[in-house]
Amino acid sequence: MKIRWMILFFPLLSVVAVSLLVKEHTAHAAPPQGAAAAVTAASAASAVSNNSALTIPDTTLAINSTQPMSQRVVHYEIDAKYDAGKHTVDATEVLTYHNLTGVALDHFPFHLYQNAFQPNATWVREAKIAGSRDTGYDKWEAKEYGSEEIKSIEVAGQGDLTSQLHYIQPDDGNKDDKTVIDLPLRTPIAPGAYVQFKIAFHDQMPETQARSGWKRDFMLGGQWFPKVGVFWHGAWNCHQYHAMTEFFADFGVYDVKLTVPQFEVVGASGVKVAEVNNPDNSKTLTFHGDDIHDFAWTVSPRFKVKEDGVYQGQMGPVQMRILMQPAHWSQADRHEKILRESLEHFESWYGPYPYKTITLVDPEPDSAAGGMEYPTFITGDSSWFMPAGLHLPELVVEHEFGHQYWYGMVATNEFEDAWMDEGINSYSEVKVLDSILGKRTSMLDVAGVTLGEREGQRLSYTSVADVDPIAQKAYDYYSFNSYGGITYGKTASVLLTLEGIIGEDTMNKAMHTYFMKYRFTHPTKEDFLKTIEEVSGKDLRWYFNQAIYGSQVMDYRVSRVESFPVNWYEEKKDSKKDDKNSVYRSFVWVHRREDFVMPVEVEVKFDNGETLREHWDGASRWTKFEYEKKAKVVSAEIDPDHKIQIDRNDFNNSNTAEANPKPARKLETYFMFLSQWLGQALAWWAV
Amino acid sequence: MVGGLSEIERREFMSNNEVLLGSGLSRVRHNKRYIFWFYVLNVLLAWLGAGAFGNVIHQILDHSLHAESLVRGFDMGTLVELFARPEFGPTMASTAPAMHFAFLFLFLTVLFVPGVLQGYAATYRLPRDDFFRACGRNLWRFIRLMIVAGIVMGAVAGALFGLEAALVKAAGESTNEMLPFEMKVVTLIIIFLVMTALRIWFDLAQADVVLSDQPAVRRSIGRGFRHMWRNLGRLLGSYVVTAMVAGIILLLGLCVWMKFVPPASVFGAVVVSQFTLLLLLIPRFWQRGIAVSYYLQSMVEPIAVHPFTPAPVITPIAPPAPVIPNSPAEPQGI
Repeated sequence: MKIRWMILFFPLLSVVAVSLLVKEHTAHAAPPQGAAAAVTAASAASAVSNNSALTIPDTTLAINSTQPMSQRVVHYEIDAKYDAGKHTVDATEVLTYHNLTGVALDHFPFHLYQNAFQPNATWVREAKIAGSRDTGYDKWEAKEYGSEEIKSIEVAGQGDLTSQLHYIQPDDGNKDDKTVIDLPLRTPIAPGAYVQFKIAFHDQMPETQARSGWKRDFMLGGQWFPKVGVFWHGAWNCHQYHAMTEFFADFGVYDVKLTVPQFEVVGASGVKVAEVNNPDNSKTLTFHGDDIHDFAWTVSPRFKVKEDGVYQGQMGPVQMRILMQPAHWSQADRHEKILRESLEHFESWYGPYPYKTITLVDPEPDSAAGGMEYPTFITGDSSWFMPAGLHLPELVVEHEFGHQYWYGMVATNEFEDAWMDEGINSYSEVKVLDSILGKRTSMLDVAGVTLGEREGQRLSYTSVADVDPIAQKAYDYYSFNSYGGITYGKTASVLLTLEGIIGEDTMNKAMHTYFMKYRFTHPTKEDFLKTIEEVSGKDLRWYFNQAIYGSQVMDYRVSRVESFPVNWYEEKKDSKKDDKNSVYRSFVWVHRREDFVMPVEVEVKFDNGETLREHWDGASRWTKFEYEKKAKVVSAEIDPDHKIQIDRNDFNNSNTAEANPKPARKLETYFMFLSQWLGQALAWWAV
Repeated sequence: MVGGLSEIERREFMSNNEVLLGSGLSRVRHNKRYIFWFYVLNVLLAWLGAGAFGNVIHQILDHSLHAESLVRGFDMGTLVELFARPEFGPTMASTAPAMHFAFLFLFLTVLFVPGVLQGYAATYRLPRDDFFRACGRNLWRFIRLMIVAGIVMGAVAGALFGLEAALVKAAGESTNEMLPFEMKVVTLIIIFLVMTALRIWFDLAQADVVLSDQPAVRRSIGRGFRHMWRNLGRLLGSYVVTAMVAGIILLLGLCVWMKFVPPASVFGAVVVSQFTLLLLLIPRFWQRGIAVSYYLQSMVEPIAVHPFTPAPVITPIAPPAPVIPNSPAEPQGI
């Protein structure tokens, strides 16, 4: 009998104990980022919610596939009404979340990105100090104000939890920052279970900042709804919105209803499935997206739409929907052409584009909405005056389309590894634009003045070369310039140099492998680097440690070239004859000026036409090549095939025995012209 | 006579009814040497000003194979990298001398323009001595004129550009993307016309100072303003035409440079650029010729003509002849 009671008593006791533990744990608000804030499956098994009625749809309406392509974690159903006069959005959001984390989840953090645009928010504080892409914040203007407020939140089976919401600041502790809000649950969500949140929210959109908001009668709805964080590597990853960060979210399904005035032309992520005119002069459009991790939309009454372009992709047709500003309508074909060519190159090099649509928005001029990527939705950047040789629209459209791969499908953490989307994408951009527009002319080709994209990326890096490493959190960069120069420019230059080390074909194969292996996942930096090592079969740690994890700077130079006759001490009688028959001793000195160590080739040319290639491991600070020939050295050049893109100074990579004043004279001529003209202009108006 | 003209010269010019443009151009054509010497000054000073820039870039580029991308075409990347080099130093260090020499050119223009105006007004080739005498005599007057002109033009330009910025900003709120550009073009044209009118005013004042030998600059400024105001259409038309000629010369020069000069031809670039700059001097001298013509036609003070009363001819009266008896008597008038 005693034993029977004991058998009954101990399980009951353990259930009560576990329940108390779980309750106590759940009551702890806002566990720090990085800590495993979930309850383990084993310990909480008997006290967690498991709502079996919920599910995430396995629709494929928006993709050219009969099966879902991602592991779908979220399903957002949003019904939003946009007030074009007040620039506000009032919406309800039903979020179904599938707990695939392997642990029970007792709280959920949400991003409220629009709260970044407030004077004391972390975003504005950082932008004021470190700079930002669009806004200087010399003074605060009311129109810059943005906000995102959750009016109410219910959790299926747990009731209204609005009162439990509280803002957290996991990155900097700035109590005035309201870009992340945390919701503790009454009952944790078991591994494999679903949970559904019903949220009512209100947005006040700012005049465009950080590619979101309104300008005149244009509106770009980006980062506009409460978005749940990503449970990644054992913890919630839900950073505050910083001036230099972008976003991170889980894949899923989006069903979004947008109610806007009837005069508006609308573009959005995904495919449009319905459009209904309402009696109050509004209309409601319904969009559906599969296997995407964000949803953006835009409206303007003045968009002109080009949607007859269809690209026959590897998985099926892709409709190209292009929304142009009226004054740019003549550039619609130009936009479609670069979009089509980008699709072709990415499909051919990296892998298929699975979505049925791509929407390209030419945003309002003078807005901070140009050059942004969202899944199946990108913004370009143009102007009414855009000569054919000025390739800004091509550059922006290609770059943002590239994000459909590096961010859209290979969904890296943009807060922590910004280089993995922006940098890898910049590398792709150089390759694609080189291929389409030419290596030396891919950015600019006007009246004989040229600039190539790879050179542009290199210069943006070399200006900030010794400030930050690539591998660091986006919000930890020294300045906005450093963030841009390192994240975009250095990564592109480092990968182009890597291409020179392992070979272009191998690099292409590695990139293809990386895309196919990690599409629709959240890879880490090591996933990428290891893929390259595996594909190339080389240990590249010596390079990655310096180029990715380190801030070493490379500057090799040919410091001297010199030749003199072996019998220099003898008196010359016939100098011409002597020149031909004399034996010369020649020297070439190569110097590594900075701390980046890398083996290099050196090409030495002689005046008899002979060319030699030397190899130097760069381990010591300098080396000297010595020759004894019936010829004098003409020139020496480090990296004669121009494979290295990270050398800080290309001018000193070569040295010639004889001076060639022509380049300098040409520039002097230009300079003289300008200064003479300046003198004349001054005299014209002043006397 | 330095400041004034002989009566014959005045009358000759006063009766000259040629249109201002033709008359001004004719003065330029007959005094080509002034343009030549100003061009020489312009080149010389720019060459001196470019010295620091040249030294730096020769050091970086002369022994580098990378620099060749500047010869074969014009690679902006190479140029940006050049300017970013620490060896290049602060941009101001190498470009400031050019600015200083541009201002020196301005000062020398102030110095020599009185001689040019004197030469334009003369119907003969102005002797060198007279040219420099005019320069020296009017230097201080011209500096005072320039200061006043600077204050007036600076204030007007500041106000107009401020207005322009405000209007363009307001146009920027429009949903018509072209409107800010159109507004900018219109306002810049208006600013150009207003500034040209001011230039005419002070050009007439300069002509008056030199050709009337007017030591009181304020009087010339007053006269210049009155004449500019009364004949604005005629003068502005002439000045606008000459300014347009300057614009056309600049555009044509740049077109020829880009289209016909091979990127690697430094010699070709020098020839075309310098020829363009030489031609660019002509329109401003033309404007000065117009100012002188206008002065001679309309601003020369009327010459007071006093009625000429010839002194009575006094015929000495011969003493009555002594009556000689039995001599024939003189005939008597009827």
